[in-house]
Amino acid sequence: MTHIQLEAIHKSYGQTQVLNDCTLEIARGEVMTLLGPSGCGKTTLLRTLAGFVRQDHGRVVVGGAEISHLAPNRRSVGYVFQNYALFPHLSVAENVAYGLKVRRRPAGEIRERVAKALHLVALDGLGARFPAQLSGGQQQRVAIARVLVLEPEVLLLDEPFNALDAKLRLTMQVELRKLIDRVGITSIFVTHDQSEAMMLSDKVAVMRAGRIEQVAAPLAIYDRPVNDYVASFIGRANVLSVEVRGGVVASAPEVVANRADGPARLIVRPENLAIAGADACWSGRILFASAQGPSIEYEVEAGLPEPLRLVVPRQAGEAALPAGAAVGVRIVDPGACIVIGGGSGV
Amino acid sequence: MHPVVRRVLHGGGFWPALPAVAFLVVFLVLPMLTLLAFGFVTIERGRIVGDTFTLQHLHSALGDQLIWRLAWRSFYVAVISTVLALVLAYPVAYLFSQTSGIWRTLILIAVISPLLTSALVRTYAWLVILGGRRGLLNQTLLQLGLIDQPLRLLNTDWAVIIGMTQIHLPFMILPLLAVLSGRDRRLEEAARNLGAGRVRTFFTVVVPMSVPAIFAGLALVFAVSYTNFIVPQLLGGGSYSTLAVQVYEQTVVVLDWTRGAVLATILLTSCFVFVYLIVAGGSRLSRWSEIRT
Repeated sequence: MTHIQLEAIHKSYGQTQVLNDCTLEIARGEVMTLLGPSGCGKTTLLRTLAGFVRQDHGRVVVGGAEISHLAPNRRSVGYVFQNYALFPHLSVAENVAYGLKVRRRPAGEIRERVAKALHLVALDGLGARFPAQLSGGQQQRVAIARVLVLEPEVLLLDEPFNALDAKLRLTMQVELRKLIDRVGITSIFVTHDQSEAMMLSDKVAVMRAGRIEQVAAPLAIYDRPVNDYVASFIGRANVLSVEVRGGVVASAPEVVANRADGPARLIVRPENLAIAGADACWSGRILFASAQGPSIEYEVEAGLPEPLRLVVPRQAGEAALPAGAAVGVRIVDPGACIVIGGGSGV
Repeated sequence: MHPVVRRVLHGGGFWPALPAVAFLVVFLVLPMLTLLAFGFVTIERGRIVGDTFTLQHLHSALGDQLIWRLAWRSFYVAVISTVLALVLAYPVAYLFSQTSGIWRTLILIAVISPLLTSALVRTYAWLVILGGRRGLLNQTLLQLGLIDQPLRLLNTDWAVIIGMTQIHLPFMILPLLAVLSGRDRRLEEAARNLGAGRVRTFFTVVVPMSVPAIFAGLALVFAVSYTNFIVPQLLGGGSYSTLAVQVYEQTVVVLDWTRGAVLATILLTSCFVFVYLIVAGGSRLSRWSEIRT
């Protein structure tokens, strides 16, 4: 069941178009990630949902009701800021109680709900501290508790792990996903980190320059990117300029292409290429090799504009081929290759 | 290079402040101590009579009803003027923080430019505005039909308060300006997101965050208002006096240095006490800002 609908959202600041026809549907209880490089409009889209940004055109619908014209304080949308934006002059408990006080709940109820919210994020007993006395991870949990205590319809998180160090980030990601599943709240994350997107979300919306390029489950995006931009943003990809002739790719005839003859681009993931002998599609020399335990990475100069990248499984005791060695390269699974129309590359 | 010279040049602790400290000690602290000391000896014909320390002058000043009345007036005029300055300064500083480009520059110029003219000139300007039946303010109000009789403004507490408030306004605006323009807007968005309206956000987030600046401004404006003697003299008129005016008159007009020194001691000491109370109150209310871990 659709919970949140963004319909054809446009937003410009002066001459700069920040959001261009963004349409997105999110099901109830689903975790969606807006993924894209900085400046692609993902945060602006999130802020539009919260009401901090008013779109030029388009509708924001939550639970069947349009909220496009509601002020931020009239929307039941919890927002966790990148740096958490905890009130430094209020204690942790007062931070969490803020929204309940605004809603004029009785003091007893506030105390009870604040304690419950702090328990939910495992911060029992830290209510009297000030935000500056907490670690980054604890501050993030306060920001989440402050929002969840109001039982909003939607949870929005703007790069919530950015301020955390790499080690803590991973644990917090797992914890947060578990928390969201426990509460069962429809959530939207914003991130530029594709592994974070893959890990946290049920669906990923990849954005570029104010547009949503593709919305799908993380693995579907990885396996079936709609274009080379998405292919290179999610994971790594070799994007090759090829010719389609008679329904197949000329340089790799085992790849079937359901399109008219002419120039096209072939997207092959590095793990879908292998070192080959006689049945090679390309031949060249190894530029660079690095063995990394379970796999070996090669860069092969094969007379193409960019070297081919390969990731091949490594057997125990196997050493990487030396740089400079002449090798052939073949496609492992032609069905996993993607052929898209011509035009400019990435 | 001599090690002492190197230490001075390369900084480190107290040394770089030495020239300024030496200057202040020689030209401010010592003369002031000398002046204050005059209140505790007896002077006749420019000579210290006997070399004994005495509390007699201080005792007689503190026993004088007039001194207490003047001190009380200094106090309430300064308090009202300081509170007025805060009420007037806050919207200006807030407006500045919400604007950008040319408007921002214009506001800044408007705030700073009064500091570039002499206090005397500005006080005279208020004479023209407030003065008598033909003063600018009375003329305007009469012509607008808002009043039948000209208001008696000049030579009242209110003339002094109005003049002081305007002259000291920049001291209140500048600290607020700095803090309000540098504030984290996401805190306000967070408050809105949690359900607070604009007014509530302002009073529960913006104002508390600016408490340190508010109290810095209060302390500054109170100190300069409490000790100002030009404005009360000119806008208060000949028969109007405050503690600060008395210090000036006893020292410069009557040439009773002993009396002047005693009154200066009372003025300075009480001023320090009040400023201390303001600063202490401010840091009580903004204890959160000193938390460091």
